[in-house]
Amino acid sequence: MTTTTPTATHRSSAPLGRVLLSELRWVLRRPRNLLALLGLAALPVLIGTVVALTGGPSPGDGPALLASVAGNGLVLPIVTLVMTQSLLLPLVTAMVAADALAGESAHGTLRGLLLAPVGRVRLVWVKATGVLVMTVLSVAVIAVVGVLTGLVIVGSDGLVTLSGTTLPLTGAIGRVALAAGWSMTQMAGIGAIALAVSALTEHPLVVLAVTVGGLIVFGVLGELPALEWLRPFLITTDLYAVADVLRDPIPTGDLITGLWRAGCYVLIGVSATVARMATRDV
Amino acid sequence: MKRRSVALTATAGAAAGLLGLTALTLPAGAAKPDLPAIEPEELVSSAMTARSPEMAGTIRVDNDLGLPALPGVPESSPLSGGSSTLRAWSDGQGRHRLTVPSEGGEKTVVDDGDTVWKWSSTERTVTKYRPDATREHRPATTPAETARHLIAKLRESSEVAVDGTASVAGRDAYELVLTPEPTERTVLREVRIAIGAEKRIPLRVVVETDGARQPALKAGFTKLSLEPQDSELFRFTPPAGAKVTTPEAPERTERARHRVVGAGWDSVLLTRLPQEPQSRQGTDDGPKDPRDLARRIGEPVSGDWGRGWIVTTRSGSALLTADGRLAVGAVPEQVLTGAMGAPR
Repeated sequence: MTTTTPTATHRSSAPLGRVLLSELRWVLRRPRNLLALLGLAALPVLIGTVVALTGGPSPGDGPALLASVAGNGLVLPIVTLVMTQSLLLPLVTAMVAADALAGESAHGTLRGLLLAPVGRVRLVWVKATGVLVMTVLSVAVIAVVGVLTGLVIVGSDGLVTLSGTTLPLTGAIGRVALAAGWSMTQMAGIGAIALAVSALTEHPLVVLAVTVGGLIVFGVLGELPALEWLRPFLITTDLYAVADVLRDPIPTGDLITGLWRAGCYVLIGVSATVARMATRDV
Repeated sequence: MKRRSVALTATAGAAAGLLGLTALTLPAGAAKPDLPAIEPEELVSSAMTARSPEMAGTIRVDNDLGLPALPGVPESSPLSGGSSTLRAWSDGQGRHRLTVPSEGGEKTVVDDGDTVWKWSSTERTVTKYRPDATREHRPATTPAETARHLIAKLRESSEVAVDGTASVAGRDAYELVLTPEPTERTVLREVRIAIGAEKRIPLRVVVETDGARQPALKAGFTKLSLEPQDSELFRFTPPAGAKVTTPEAPERTERARHRVVGAGWDSVLLTRLPQEPQSRQGTDDGPKDPRDLARRIGEPVSGDWGRGWIVTTRSGSALLTADGRLAVGAVPEQVLTGAMGAPR
């Protein structure tokens, strides 16, 4: 693990808390990040309103999961997560990761950071935390707004699972929290890889292109029967498993595999970022 | 230099992550266990009399029956080949629950010991089978029951042998092999059933056909727990907003329509299509008029029994006549046409 004490500890280094705080302030005050959160918040409202107005797609028509939103509002946050997880959430994550290192590099401010009395490993942790916080916020916004929209529009007092059982409100909220938590780990995995790419390049756009393009390519590769052996490596393989929280009892197999995979991605991404930053010349 | 050791540690971290991903590709293979030898007859009789235990399991079905791609049958349907997963629970006292997950949906069958409930999440419908429906008309059976049924059907016309051991879902099992007697006219080569050494419940069924390396059908537990199950699992309350239908008890006429010609491996099921296929109950994913379908994918044939279309696959064939009679069996074409012409 990368627990080596930062190289700069012998110098008078800035307190971690203050560095972290200034980074978070930086991330959360950036207008495009706020706009992204706002857009994500609008999504469940939009989907919920359309489903409530039209009664949802008729059975066998359109995504099966979407049909189950009608009259069953607490499915809405999970459906929105499923729909955003494949591209929209990774896009937001990649955007923040791109700003974190490649953006600084492009503006010439990374140079200052590297010379500043902050260890390089510590710098990576600070930047990674910034990406993680934004990722957690994006998922949480969808979950919270989704639950509220579901409750307000449908006014349901429970959740009908895909297995036909009815969960009480607390149980339903628990399921949404579980889905959100699981989704956050997946996005953290993607974010870690995006951060590694961000450390490698000076162009923020490259980070976006590699992350989103990579996901699309992964999706295609996962569909090819000849490349079945590749599937366990692809983060896209079990992304859909988040819908399993809507089954009762929850089948844990794919969810746990997904957690393990996301953990590996985080490890690879953060390690690669540290390796690159440690050897980088100012 | 400090920086270099950081870089080295980080590289090791990335390598560990890659290894972790590789770990996902490793099959959970287990060596064949050593078990005391057992006589086939003893294994069969112990399997037939074993009590159904309390259990929860995941079953993977790999289907390579060689059915032609059916228009209108979704790819996720177990009929269309490929793999599907089922989950099953049983409380050992005749109550059970079976779910068939699909992408974004699920079908659930709950037998609460009295009433059988069928739920389809995509249609939001509940079908309630009344308790007075006789056992054999209940749509729910446990996978173990199905396997036992298979053994009972085939053992008379088979050579039964125990062919070593296997490990299924982490449990030690004997491999029971049923091979058709040479006089049986079937396209199947053998049926292998892995029977758990401890509880003697069937854990896996593999159907092999002539001249194919891949099994036509492989259904077995990937996960199995024999712990006591929550009784809530075996209860079903239709959720709010679901449409509940209670079909009439299956009419006697329908029963009379079915007829089995022959016995054992080359038995052929003769039946008659319902007059109005559209009015059929249930949640068939299939296309509406089978005759249209047969016309499209089948070969026209005719004989003294009339004319119709035959569909041959590596695991059997089906013959549908123009007037709606249907013959199905794991047999070559001649046996089907012979059965169709057989006197009542």
